[in-house]
Amino acid sequence: MSDINDVKNIKIDKEDFEFVQLNEDIKDEKFQGEAIGFFKDAMLRFKKNKASIVAGWIILIIIIMAIIGPSMNGYTYREQHIDWALLPPRIPGLEKLGIFDGTKVMDVKKDNLDEKYAGCVVKILDEYDIEYMGSKTSMVKAKIDIYKLKDAEDVYFWLGTDSIGRDLWTRLWRGSRISLFIGIMSVLINMFIGVVYGAVSGYYGGWVDMVMQRIIEIIGGIPSLVLIILFVMYLGAGIVPFILAMILTGWIGMSRMIRAQFYKYKGQEYVLASRTMGAKDRTLIFRHILPNAIGPIITQATLAVPGAIFTESFLSYLGLGIEAPEPSIGVLLAEGQKVLLDHPHLTLFPAIIISLLMLSFNLFGNGLRDAFDPTLRGQE
Amino acid sequence: MLRYIVQRLIAMAITLFIIISISFFIIHSMPGSIVDDPMLPEDVKLAIEDKYHLNDPLPVQYGYFLKDFLSFNFGTSIKVQPRVSVFDIIKAKLPITLQVNIFSLILTVPVGIILGIVAALKKNRAADHIISIMVILFISVPSFVFAALLQYFVAFKWGLAPILLSTDATLTWTKFKSMILPVLALSFGGIATITRYMRAELCEALNSEYMLLAKTKGLSQVQATVRHAIRNSFIPLANIIIPMFFSILGGSMVIENIFGIPGLGQLSVSSINALDHPLTIATLFFYSLISLLSILVVDLSYGIIDPRIRIGGRK
Repeated sequence: MSDINDVKNIKIDKEDFEFVQLNEDIKDEKFQGEAIGFFKDAMLRFKKNKASIVAGWIILIIIIMAIIGPSMNGYTYREQHIDWALLPPRIPGLEKLGIFDGTKVMDVKKDNLDEKYAGCVVKILDEYDIEYMGSKTSMVKAKIDIYKLKDAEDVYFWLGTDSIGRDLWTRLWRGSRISLFIGIMSVLINMFIGVVYGAVSGYYGGWVDMVMQRIIEIIGGIPSLVLIILFVMYLGAGIVPFILAMILTGWIGMSRMIRAQFYKYKGQEYVLASRTMGAKDRTLIFRHILPNAIGPIITQATLAVPGAIFTESFLSYLGLGIEAPEPSIGVLLAEGQKVLLDHPHLTLFPAIIISLLMLSFNLFGNGLRDAFDPTLRGQE
Repeated sequence: MLRYIVQRLIAMAITLFIIISISFFIIHSMPGSIVDDPMLPEDVKLAIEDKYHLNDPLPVQYGYFLKDFLSFNFGTSIKVQPRVSVFDIIKAKLPITLQVNIFSLILTVPVGIILGIVAALKKNRAADHIISIMVILFISVPSFVFAALLQYFVAFKWGLAPILLSTDATLTWTKFKSMILPVLALSFGGIATITRYMRAELCEALNSEYMLLAKTKGLSQVQATVRHAIRNSFIPLANIIIPMFFSILGGSMVIENIFGIPGLGQLSVSSINALDHPLTIATLFFYSLISLLSILVVDLSYGIIDPRIRIGGRK
């Protein structure tokens, strides 16, 4: 005991210290070139992956269009034009090239050509007869200018209109905005919950880990689709219920990954060293161990976005979509499906956007994964 | 092993109990009454609601519900097919769903495995790149987009196949033809998943040391691949193929709706939309049962397929 007190009583002033080798020449070799940080390194690898770069640009363009698209023409997403329902796409400029010119190929009775369709026929493609109940009718396959037919000659609906005359362009981008918002928000919240849950469970281990993993087992045991359907049925459709429904089970994957990372790193020497120097649990978790997992976190979050967008449109298909008149890509697809054979443009454009989005997020996520962890390269 | 199975079965029963309880409370606390005809007099409406105990407090209803459920009496449908036992409805819908899904499975598994093997053997060559593009397309594009595209182009524009499923009761040629499109739409996702797995596993197996040993002891590349690499890469594949076998029992809700297949998927959608509570609970219960069973069988199968993996908590 007395020794320790003696040591404590020794007083040394700061000035008494001096650096021994301050003026000595250090013989180490100097670093050649610039030091490359973690993100810069990943970025270098990411740039080599052309498909991911293109995917990134497509995502960016769709996001920008989702922000500015709905206000690019004069229509609003809920403005109805009952007289101008189900118009085909028509874009100024492009119409002269023969595409997006507001025409549609229709089978009409020959007698009607001069009366009902007078002046609207662009081109007659085919003439034929059909027999029905013994009587013969001559039919014509004609390209008809629907805009002229419906007295809308100086109106342009870029992507056409739906069954109650709402502008598809505006609704499509507003729908993309909502689908993207649901997808990205739910993934961000899942990420947050998953990281905190997984970090606590993995760092503390023992009975805390045991209890937390049993809870995950129970929640994960319930089929997630059943849970999501029940939840949306209960809360009613809407953006917030959708996001909440996707959070119910969505965070489990992330938390498992984070927990595994903590088990891998918490026993390492640098963590022990830091703890010896008096670092608190919070510092160890967030400052020293979690940054190791930043690559997998970003990758997993990116790859989860298409899943969330898919679930949203899936639920819309089941009639659990968000409330009218608000569109989402799923709602538009479900509406388009009803009139698919006669008016394919209502299905085609939302289908293109959702396919592009899901494809791009998947490619982008794969690129990120390869960039952050080159050892995983090539595993699809 | 036996103890492990019993443990798992008990856990499964508890999960199922939680699921049906949650479904019961959620579905019964939803707004809206099953009697939605505004012309019906108030006392008739009350009488109908009384008959199904809909006016009792929720815990009392829950008591009735549990009593019936534990004696395997799942009740009768209220609106979709009034007064028909829910059990019978599901029993009648199951063969329709099964028929389509079995064809889909017959297409999915072999095609997926073959494509995966080709991609792995021709790694980083043209065939591999084409298959990779196909895989990423099939995984990314949602099944209902494929369904709509197939319906519009193949069936409507080119007239190669019927638009909707034919209503023939038996498996005739017309019925088979009308099943092509739904089966395709159902299979694309599965093919892509199997191909992706198969390729990754086989690539790893081809680079392993036992392949080197096999070749050192005198096997040719083909012999070594067939006897050692492919066999070993099948083990992790069981993880995704077994759930596929179980999922043929539950119909795809969206695809069945699009192609007018009157199967289980369509049944669950119409029961949700019609507020037919007993039917909704029964279908959701059925879906949960399938997925829990498939998880259990996957876990048990590890020990059978690969004896190196020990099951259970023994250390």
